[in-house]
Amino acid sequence: MADCPKILVTGLGAICAAGMDPESVWHRVRSGQSAISPIRQWNASVWPVSVAGEITEFNARALVEDRKLHKLLRRTEFLGLYVADRAFAHAGFAAYRDSLDAAARNAFNDRTGVYVGTGGASFQDQYVFFPLLTAAAGDLGVFGRELAATVNPMWLLRTLPNNVLGHIGIRHGLKGPNACVMNHSTSGTLAVAEAAEALRAGEAERAVAVGHDAPIEPQTLLYYHRLGLLAADAVRPFDARRSGSLLGEGAAALVLETEAAATGREAKILGEFLGSGCASEAQGLLSIRRDGEGLAYAIAVALENAGIRAADVGMIVAHGNGTRQSDASEATAIRRVFGPTPPPVTAFKWAFGHLLAASGILEAVLALVALRHGTVPGVATLRELDPGFANLPVSAEPQTPRSDVGLILSRGFGGTNAALLFRASPSDAG
Amino acid sequence: MTGVHRRVAITGLGLVTPLGNDAATTWNALLAGRSGIGEISIFDASGFPAHIAAEVKGFNPHLAIDDRKLLKFTNRSHAFALAAAEEAMRDAGIWPARGSETRWGCVVGSSMMGMEFAELGEVHRHCGPDGEFHVERLLTDRITADPMVFCRIQPCTGLALLLRRFGIRGYANSVHTACASGGQAVGSGMKLIRRGTADWVLAGGFDSMITPIGLAGFCLLGALSLDNETPERASRPFDATRNGFVLGEGAGFLVLEEWEAARRRGARIYAELAGEGNSLSSYRITDSHPSGDGPIQAMHQALANAGAPLDAVDYINAHGTSTPMNDRSECTAIRAIFGPQACKIAVSSTKSLMGHLIAAAGAVEAAICALAIRHGILPINANLREPDPECDLDFVLGGPRVMRTGVALSNSFGFGGSNSCLTFRNPEEAPG
Repeated sequence: MADCPKILVTGLGAICAAGMDPESVWHRVRSGQSAISPIRQWNASVWPVSVAGEITEFNARALVEDRKLHKLLRRTEFLGLYVADRAFAHAGFAAYRDSLDAAARNAFNDRTGVYVGTGGASFQDQYVFFPLLTAAAGDLGVFGRELAATVNPMWLLRTLPNNVLGHIGIRHGLKGPNACVMNHSTSGTLAVAEAAEALRAGEAERAVAVGHDAPIEPQTLLYYHRLGLLAADAVRPFDARRSGSLLGEGAAALVLETEAAATGREAKILGEFLGSGCASEAQGLLSIRRDGEGLAYAIAVALENAGIRAADVGMIVAHGNGTRQSDASEATAIRRVFGPTPPPVTAFKWAFGHLLAASGILEAVLALVALRHGTVPGVATLRELDPGFANLPVSAEPQTPRSDVGLILSRGFGGTNAALLFRASPSDAG
Repeated sequence: MTGVHRRVAITGLGLVTPLGNDAATTWNALLAGRSGIGEISIFDASGFPAHIAAEVKGFNPHLAIDDRKLLKFTNRSHAFALAAAEEAMRDAGIWPARGSETRWGCVVGSSMMGMEFAELGEVHRHCGPDGEFHVERLLTDRITADPMVFCRIQPCTGLALLLRRFGIRGYANSVHTACASGGQAVGSGMKLIRRGTADWVLAGGFDSMITPIGLAGFCLLGALSLDNETPERASRPFDATRNGFVLGEGAGFLVLEEWEAARRRGARIYAELAGEGNSLSSYRITDSHPSGDGPIQAMHQALANAGAPLDAVDYINAHGTSTPMNDRSECTAIRAIFGPQACKIAVSSTKSLMGHLIAAAGAVEAAICALAIRHGILPINANLREPDPECDLDFVLGGPRVMRTGVALSNSFGFGGSNSCLTFRNPEEAPG
């Protein structure tokens, strides 16, 4: 990609059970203390799974001040808007835009993209219809007639999947290219990839990529449990006795800029987007290929897209969701691409759960922080590496990255695999 | 960058719409000016403020999908998607094969998802018969015990079904920007080919919100036409008396192919997908600014992206929802871009006959633009009888217009403020 502009990272934001900004999440991960805890949003004590990566101090007003939005938005959206605000602040956008004249400000807004990865349907949104269903007692005629008197007129707007995209635009006055990805656990990852490709193609000069999700709700939790995807107490990626994942909630954001835009305003450079890859396994919604081929191909595409070799990768942040099948095929895919001596591998879901649509982008943010600190954090819940993965360099203890390049992997329902490659800037020279 | 010189051909298309369950039937109904709008028959909607819609009729998913395993995961909108995509693939006459399967991508504009109304009704009876939600009762609820309910409403389920059905192993993405979804999905597919990520892309959109909950959502917003007595007249984009849109359902899919590869195999090329514009209005969640700010940027980019001068545009398939605000803002945007040239461009909104297909609209209308270029005929803007001085453009009225189109644009603007504009070029005019 020699004649493409370099795409630089100039702002980060993150929130999850382990903290409200990238550095606090990082410190929590480094401490080895998981933020998985008993669910508080409802009484889950008698549930088959009663723990999750829940943001226990969730306070919508502390996340987004604008009072007008509080009746219009749901938990997941406050998380998304919060991290976008934080990433913009981190990048120093407001001060820079304020320094421009009106024409340059308009150009700034038109040339700023917004790319969001978002989660799925919320069941709770539909319970809003319970009082009406009770009143209708099975009579659709009554349901239709009593509708306006019973249900909030804004119901549909509250449940729009692309609300974070629209409200980031309105709050920050941005009008550039955009996308809202709804592709399960690759959503946030693909939002980053699409934002970067838009900048490479010259569609915009800067963009924010956001992933957000809040899947910890009663009916969703039971479905994940019944699909056999959840552990009872802890996520243990690559462990011999791993038994599944745990849901988490949160959001993360990355501000990306072309090199010309970032250096033009003397922005602090945190890292560089190098490339991305995406591949499908084409086997249906829930199947995973044992041979890891889809994931291996996604990694190969990302390396080619970045114009680097497998040997240049210094650290792998695995999807590592802790399920038997996914971790096994992921270990196989890593071996297929990296041979017998892959760079240090880690995974983060043990610390704050599986954020689904937000998981890949949060883990990309943490990968940048980790590389800037020069440390591959350990997987603290790992007790005994699965003997099937014998030469996979994953450990409960911290490791040293082989280079400043990180590979971040995401896998979602539908057999989609996505890979991102970033180079971190040294933390003191940024 | 490899992308700059790679061009994109539309070599296959498929439709399931309120006007017909395939592309030819839909196209013929458009030319005949037949409306697909009538009284809702899928459920008893008589008590709703709006009880008309544009339903897909006589559609049998079992005929469209012969794979029983797939059918288990399939809701109504997924079945539309599988049928329309199948038609598009057969129409293109090319299929992922060993060696090419990873060079195929798939991008879909997916419907908003929720439990089926009957399922919600069961959860209500078990967990909240008094109107309150009793969370502990979910533990013994039958609907909650069935993970297939959950699987059918995943936003990526439609994509997963298509990937499996056709064996597509490359880039795969599912997007949703409300009514701009289908347009953005097709535009995104074009970019995959341009930047070298794929050589073929199955791109489209699907939706079915004609359900008690979907209809309720739009009724509550006051977005729908309440002309229940005159359903065929209810959708009248750009008419001075327009009063809301009519909900439709269906799916549209295109096979996009790298130009040179399509030429080499002698494929029939409907049109070149030549450009895409993509912007945010950032004004209100439901509307663009009356000045056209937002849509203006999308149309400008779509032209610049295609390298098409203003005076090359012959036809615009408008978003034209028939709501007072959209149509005015869209006309203002077209005027702002084309100036005095605007009156030389033929404009029509096919939503006048098939209603608003929401997440599928942009993809269906992309296919219509391809057909209009291919056949040299423009479909009408039905029901425009009383001109609105604020919507003063050359609308295709009375009957279809026989006219060769060099360049066409298709607009799709969504709740949330996303705008998509696609540029199509007649293959005879495509450079090279």
